Amino acid sequence: MAPLLEIVGVQKQFGGLSALAGLDLHVDEGEIVSVIGPNGAGKSTLFNVITGLYAPDGGDVIFRGESIVGLRPHLVAKLGIARTFQNVHLFPNMTVLENAMVGQHCRSKSGVVGSVLRLPSTRREEERIRVRATEALNFFGSRLSGYRQEQPAFSLSYANRRRLEMARAMATDPSLLLLDEPTAGMNPRETLELRDHIVRMRDELGLTVLVIEHDMRVVKGVSDRVIACDYGQKIGEGSYDEVAHNDRVIEAYLGTKAVG
Amino acid sequence: MPIGRLVRAGLVGGIGVIFVSLVGLMARISEINLIGTQVTGAYAFLALVPFAAAYISVRPRVVAGRLEELTAGRSVSFGAVTGLAAGGLVAASLLFTSWYGVERIREVFIEVTQELIDVLSFGQSAIVGASILVLGGLLLGAAGGGFRTLAPEARKVLATAISATLLMGLLQRIIPIAMLQLGLDPDWMYDPISSGLTWVGAAVTFFVALGAAWLWARRGRAARETLRTMTREQPGTRVVVGLVMIAILATIPWLVGSVISEVLGAVMVFMLLGLGLNIVVGYAGLLDLGYVAFFGFGAYATALLTGATLNTTTGSAAPALSLHLNFYVALPIVVLLAAGVGLLIGAPVLRLRGDYLAIVTLGLGEIVSILIGSNWLKPLVGGPQGMRNITDASIAGFSFRDPQHFYYLSLAFVLLAAFVSLRLSGSRIGRAWNAMREDEQVADAMGISTTRYKLLAFAIGGAVGSLGGALLAVRIGSLTPASFVILVSITALAVVILGGMGSIPGVIVGALVLIGLPGLLREFEEYRLLIYGAALISIMILRPQGLIPNVRRSRELHEEDRSQDKWAGDLAADEDTAASLSPLGEGSG
Repeated sequence: MAPLLEIVGVQKQFGGLSALAGLDLHVDEGEIVSVIGPNGAGKSTLFNVITGLYAPDGGDVIFRGESIVGLRPHLVAKLGIARTFQNVHLFPNMTVLENAMVGQHCRSKSGVVGSVLRLPSTRREEERIRVRATEALNFFGSRLSGYRQEQPAFSLSYANRRRLEMARAMATDPSLLLLDEPTAGMNPRETLELRDHIVRMRDELGLTVLVIEHDMRVVKGVSDRVIACDYGQKIGEGSYDEVAHNDRVIEAYLGTKAVG
Repeated sequence: MPIGRLVRAGLVGGIGVIFVSLVGLMARISEINLIGTQVTGAYAFLALVPFAAAYISVRPRVVAGRLEELTAGRSVSFGAVTGLAAGGLVAASLLFTSWYGVERIREVFIEVTQELIDVLSFGQSAIVGASILVLGGLLLGAAGGGFRTLAPEARKVLATAISATLLMGLLQRIIPIAMLQLGLDPDWMYDPISSGLTWVGAAVTFFVALGAAWLWARRGRAARETLRTMTREQPGTRVVVGLVMIAILATIPWLVGSVISEVLGAVMVFMLLGLGLNIVVGYAGLLDLGYVAFFGFGAYATALLTGATLNTTTGSAAPALSLHLNFYVALPIVVLLAAGVGLLIGAPVLRLRGDYLAIVTLGLGEIVSILIGSNWLKPLVGGPQGMRNITDASIAGFSFRDPQHFYYLSLAFVLLAAFVSLRLSGSRIGRAWNAMREDEQVADAMGISTTRYKLLAFAIGGAVGSLGGALLAVRIGSLTPASFVILVSITALAVVILGGMGSIPGVIVGALVLIGLPGLLREFEEYRLLIYGAALISIMILRPQGLIPNVRRSRELHEEDRSQDKWAGDLAADEDTAASLSPLGEGSG
């Protein structure tokens, strides 16, 4: 079976710096794949290239057998790739529910006429959007449900902002979810809880997840496969244990032994 | 005693008074009798300045991280110092002027006249006048300081009552006419000679407003709640409330008479511009400084589609293109074409944001203004001389030329535009605009085509703006390029900002204040821009979210203070939770 997402020799330069230097990787349907690597390894750049925020300088990004290079980000989202950001980017002054409802935008189609006249089809669609957004929020249990849904997003705690960002991405009904350091800034208990959530995303919702993560407990707990990057290239791939004992990976994280 | 700060506040107020006097506004407002012949606009202003300066200078301040409120005695005495500084500065200038000679000062400041001096010295000699200013400043400053010590509700109620009284005095050209129309005798309330409120009228207004404000402060929330539940549970009530409001709106032109109706007509043209611009700026967050383009397009397109004649030096000529459609047939065409113009203007600026967008739209707006007045388009739209005899928008012989009739046409347009804005803002489209305004890149990544929604905002905003133009075209039946200058764009933007970006009631109030008040007080005509400037500066400092803010927009403006507090709180909370947890027993990587 062809992989859901395939990255072939993707390159991206910023001035003289090669953020991605011919990176190859693939993600199969129903997998949870972690991308690890030291800071500056090009992990977030990879996400930005996949979702169309950056155009790659070379190589190809293939989703469901078709190249998505050059597509605008909203079209990538519509195809079924949703993401979160390393530094949480919510719509801070919209309510929690509205944030999640924005996720459903690409799955709805009411136009100006329908909205102004509030046609029955528009009302049904709006109701559907609301239900779907609430579902996505309720995935995180009581964290984002009830009275919280009517509060502005900026009033949420840091961990809840991250959860809301994930809920918003899930509300786009994606098949592939890209999570950029989902546990950054969370306390140990929250991190643990989120680890279970990522596994549930696959097991209960059938999502394929590509996750950038620094917390090795999370990486170990969720990954079917781990890909290690450094200097914009893949330096190791395999199960968590294989990668954890890969010499190049250890070198990338800890440096080489001094010679002599 | 922080004497420097107190004096500074007073001096700022005093400089304000001197400035207003030097530009001639003081003499002008002294001709308006608010209450009797004693309280003129000038005296109300003179009294307000030390009072307000003192009130502001004794506000609670953050000292060493703590909000420090002054004791009552200090409030009063500190306020008195501020008031004294304000009064003293004005008094000193008065003395200086009379010593140096009015005529010699007048060589530079031509508005400094003997009448102005008489106003400032209360018709007495300069020495006596100056003493009154100093003493008055002291007392009013003390009063302003004392006002701060009242309970917030009492302050609100009192301020409402005083402003209501002054406002009723200002509305001396509307209320008596309306009372006459209702068959009431206005003479006990408004003095027919001085035309201001009588003292009896002022007292009645004050106490009625006081009572109403007090009741509202105590029961307002409950009343609003009841009304809300009623409208929710009984759909019938909604219809009744709507009908009552429409009935009130419909009787207004009859109540206020022809002159005021004309002012209201102008106000509603700008309400339309404000509502349209609000979609572009308030909803979608695209700063458009060339909005006059749509206004002009709507006006001239209406004229050409319904038929008009060009003004020429020799008399009149037929335009190069002229259809003779009925206004109501032409209108949808104009609106659709204007939406198309919106797309044309929107397309080249899609990639621009913020300042760059503002500059480019400013340029595009100027191009349209210049084209309208150009010789190149003269055969079509008459160039600098413009056009006239634009077909009336009458329905079955009911003409809308008469200001009282025109009101109904414009009301219908405004209601339509407000309805469309309201529905859009609460829909999927409004949500997309909101998301785009808050974070364009993220909105894009979440599946919103920012290109599409920017263009949509320009198109719909343009369509609503063209309605304003169409109204203007049929209002008096003639058009000249002088009506389509950059000032229109700026005024429309001022209406939106003053009222509150993204807020429909805000736009309506903004237009009433910015267009209605100057129209009502013709004395101020030449000072209109000065007053706009002052109004905008004060609103930006005192109430940046606008008069009637959109909830979300006001959140945006206070975001920084709040997120800082929030973060501090979060950090503390996180540390607590983390500390209370036992170390995880999981293997680490």
